[in-house]
Amino acid sequence: MSKLGRVVEAVEDYNSFVEKEVKRARTDEQFGMQMLDRWDEIKRNIKIGTSPTGLKLPRLALPEIDDVGDITRYLLGDGLPGEFPFLNGAYREMYLEPWQEAPIETGTYEKTGDGRKSRLNGSRNGHSNGNGSSARAAATNRVAATIKKPQQAEEPTRLFSGLMLAEDTNKRFHFLSAHQRSKRLSTAFDGPTLYGIDSDADGVFGKIGEGGVAIDTVEDMVRLYDGFDLGSPDFSASMTISGPAPIMMAMYIAAAVRRFGPDVIPKLRGTIQADIFKEVQAQNETIFPVEASLRFLADMMEWTMRHMPRWYPVSISGYHIGEAGSTPVQQAAYTLSNGFAYAEMMAARGMSADEFGPRLSFFLDCGLDVEYIALTRVSRRIWAIGMKEVFGAGPKAQLYKVHTQTSGRSLIAAEFRNNLTRTAAELMLAYMNGTNSCHSNSADEPFTTPSEEWIRLSAHSQAILLEESGIFKHTMNMLSGSPGMKAVERAVEAAILEEFREIERLGGVLAAVENRYQRSQIQNAAHRYEQQIYDGTRPIVALNKYRNEEEEMPEFELARTPAARQQLQVDRLKKFKAKNAKKAEQALNKLADVVDTDENCFPAMMEAVEVCSLGQISERLQEVVGRFRPMV
Amino acid sequence: MASPIRVLTAVPICDGHDSAINTINLEFIRHGIEVVYLGFHRYVKDIVRAAIQEDVAAVGISSYNGGHIEFFAEVVKQLKKRGADDIKVFGGGGGTITHDDQRIMQKRGVDKIFFAGTSLTGMSDFVRERYGKRPKRGATSDPEMKLARKLTEIEDSYANGKRAKKGEARKAKFKNTRVIGFTGPGGAGKTTLIDELVLRLLHRDANSRIAILSHDPSVVGEGALLGDRATMINSQNDRVFMRSMATRGQAGGLSPATEDCLELLAQSGFDYVIIETVGTGQEAMPFRSKLIDQTVMVMNPDYGARLQLQKIVMLDLADIVVVNKSDLDRAKTAMNEIERRLGENRRDQRVISTVAKRHRDAGVDELCDLLTRETVSATKGKR
Repeated sequence: MSKLGRVVEAVEDYNSFVEKEVKRARTDEQFGMQMLDRWDEIKRNIKIGTSPTGLKLPRLALPEIDDVGDITRYLLGDGLPGEFPFLNGAYREMYLEPWQEAPIETGTYEKTGDGRKSRLNGSRNGHSNGNGSSARAAATNRVAATIKKPQQAEEPTRLFSGLMLAEDTNKRFHFLSAHQRSKRLSTAFDGPTLYGIDSDADGVFGKIGEGGVAIDTVEDMVRLYDGFDLGSPDFSASMTISGPAPIMMAMYIAAAVRRFGPDVIPKLRGTIQADIFKEVQAQNETIFPVEASLRFLADMMEWTMRHMPRWYPVSISGYHIGEAGSTPVQQAAYTLSNGFAYAEMMAARGMSADEFGPRLSFFLDCGLDVEYIALTRVSRRIWAIGMKEVFGAGPKAQLYKVHTQTSGRSLIAAEFRNNLTRTAAELMLAYMNGTNSCHSNSADEPFTTPSEEWIRLSAHSQAILLEESGIFKHTMNMLSGSPGMKAVERAVEAAILEEFREIERLGGVLAAVENRYQRSQIQNAAHRYEQQIYDGTRPIVALNKYRNEEEEMPEFELARTPAARQQLQVDRLKKFKAKNAKKAEQALNKLADVVDTDENCFPAMMEAVEVCSLGQISERLQEVVGRFRPMV
Repeated sequence: MASPIRVLTAVPICDGHDSAINTINLEFIRHGIEVVYLGFHRYVKDIVRAAIQEDVAAVGISSYNGGHIEFFAEVVKQLKKRGADDIKVFGGGGGTITHDDQRIMQKRGVDKIFFAGTSLTGMSDFVRERYGKRPKRGATSDPEMKLARKLTEIEDSYANGKRAKKGEARKAKFKNTRVIGFTGPGGAGKTTLIDELVLRLLHRDANSRIAILSHDPSVVGEGALLGDRATMINSQNDRVFMRSMATRGQAGGLSPATEDCLELLAQSGFDYVIIETVGTGQEAMPFRSKLIDQTVMVMNPDYGARLQLQKIVMLDLADIVVVNKSDLDRAKTAMNEIERRLGENRRDQRVISTVAKRHRDAGVDELCDLLTRETVSATKGKR
């Protein structure tokens, strides 16, 4: 049985454990009293805040239950926000306005419940926090650890951008982050970069700087983040690239070192997508055979986990699975199972769950289907149970930390201003699920790389929901736990476990990928979705319903990369290659030699990026390990 | 009955957006169209080569990653340069292709751009009406194009019921051409194995030329998805001529026109002609052709109980049995069982175990050795 099979068992066991404890609370008086005491203590400690209109509201709303069984089911089965199994949120106070009188302490969690109070400093260096205590402890311990959000709360806004050449994207980054106290950049790369191909390669002219930024060398990487303090605690970079991710990661480190010296390495903060499984399942940007890709990834993950404690070396992504047409359940199930597969991979390298767990993060799509009411909530719960019970993870390594993006596929060209409403509704769902950060799509996205006018509106939509409206800032659990939401949670969890079982029957995640199971499931769902639009069973306003026949497609000023800019990229790449020709060959030979052994090849990759372009490195690696064979 | 329309579909280089094209492919097939699908992330030169070899009526390109003006125009230009401007280019890219772009693209010879909101049926109807009847074509001096058109003629004449099956008497082939047949159940990895073999054959002899005749099933009463090219990365090469055929209603893994097409290829001066059947069942005996020098049966170790082996007819006929995916748990047992089973035949049959998906796999090297070195007579003449 793979670890995934054990996750299924763990969730089932946990669910029946909860029901047993519910029964026990109702029959065993002493245990029942313990639970009631705990409930009272929680209630006593809830602070009361005041809204701008003077309304007094608790900062944490609890269900109005007083039966000890119901209380037990709530505390163990759902958990308070910030408590295992984290259904109601990763953090106790998520989007709440900061509490004035008593500031929250940074990076700590408290142990309460059994009377003991211990306080552990949040581990900033990725080492075990020493609290991966036994899986089957007393019930009170199960609700003991409360995760609090780090204090220097950042805006959850993280807008994805990338266009033309490095200096053009750099300018956009400065524009987007001008008024933010934290600089959270998210980088989109152009097609050639995503496929590890150089800008001067035959047949790619026209694609340079389209749909993202063109990065060929470490020099481009220096230009890309120019003017930002890469080692600052307020800065974080996200790079959306997977196929050649280890090479790009090496380039990012090299660029940072060029600007700030080697001491910057442990301070670097950010995320690189690097998710090979979802590439093979949905997004098709893979350049090496699956197993070789996984090896390069694991080498990079291991190195960064040991040397860059603030970096997330993989962003386990359902977004592209969703965008490729999966159902929401498929999205959640494949994302989680891919995550467990990466966890298994790191565990096999001898790392403990408390080392690698906190460095894994997730990325989900949020559309308008009903499942999205609770998709992330359920995912968070399954991840926490799986990490704890199967991998022995402590509280910090149990957290499903997730970035959400609203659905690009749900946006359409016809009467495109409606896309603002779609995105706003999706954003609302994302916040209801307690996403850690968010990207709201720009309404003009069906046509082009977002223009500044529309991207501004999309950024503002986040502030309107979180800052202007009172929905999320006064009370936790504002919209949790309705009967409808509970019904969706139960149905979604059962469906996800069923997908896990099927993957397990096929021999685990990798075997299922090679049998193209996830791919064909996603393709079938995508086809069904299109059929539903065409036969009208899935209403899309202004497309198959309430259509305005007179409407003409708006003409936009499109962000295209002029030929001269593309040529500039080609020219400076050629110059780089000429300058480094001799050293490049040596570095490539060394890299190839290391790849042929079992050694971690990431250090050799970091040396190679100093003198080689992305394309040179990819090509040489392909000679050694082969090329990816596409799946249809 | 008229021959089905054949079109080629693909997604441009540095673009992995295949969701739309997958849906459109299925829709085309439902409307009786045969789709040669080249896959995503494809160079212009690969699209043009494939379009000419497959002799399709049109090329459909689905582009979502930008650069479409240059890309589409380059496909048109390269087709024209080869003298294949009868092959029309159409496509779409949701909202990424604007009306202005479309005007420029049409000026540069693109036949049609579909915009967001076009119905799938509308697209299929357009393709059938516009490309259903091929224009009269002038003679060509391009040998590859000549060969491709002759293959089309053969397929068409069978579709029109004009060609009767010929007797076996006049079969002949080019002296130095080795014809190799690959068969086996679906999912055994035939296509990957062939592609890896092609890589080695191209490498061993810098002048060798290879033809591949690949088969995919027609959907009953509908078109077919001819998708082998999409997963073949080494066979996209100027020294490889590949043709994808739909079975068009014939059982057994081949098309009614296969034998004549194979004959033509075998007489066209290739060093190797490789023919691949559709994934076959236990009783299938797809190759009866005298043209074939060696047959390779590709198996997956997961064939079930040992009893199943007794029923597989091809195990009696194959010259070489390949147990692919031999990294699977059951592979060792499978090798033993198959060796014992072949022992009963008392023929000089060979068993090789491979992991074709693995780069530089030693088993595939061995297969390549066997197919290139062994004299034809050693395993021939007993079927």
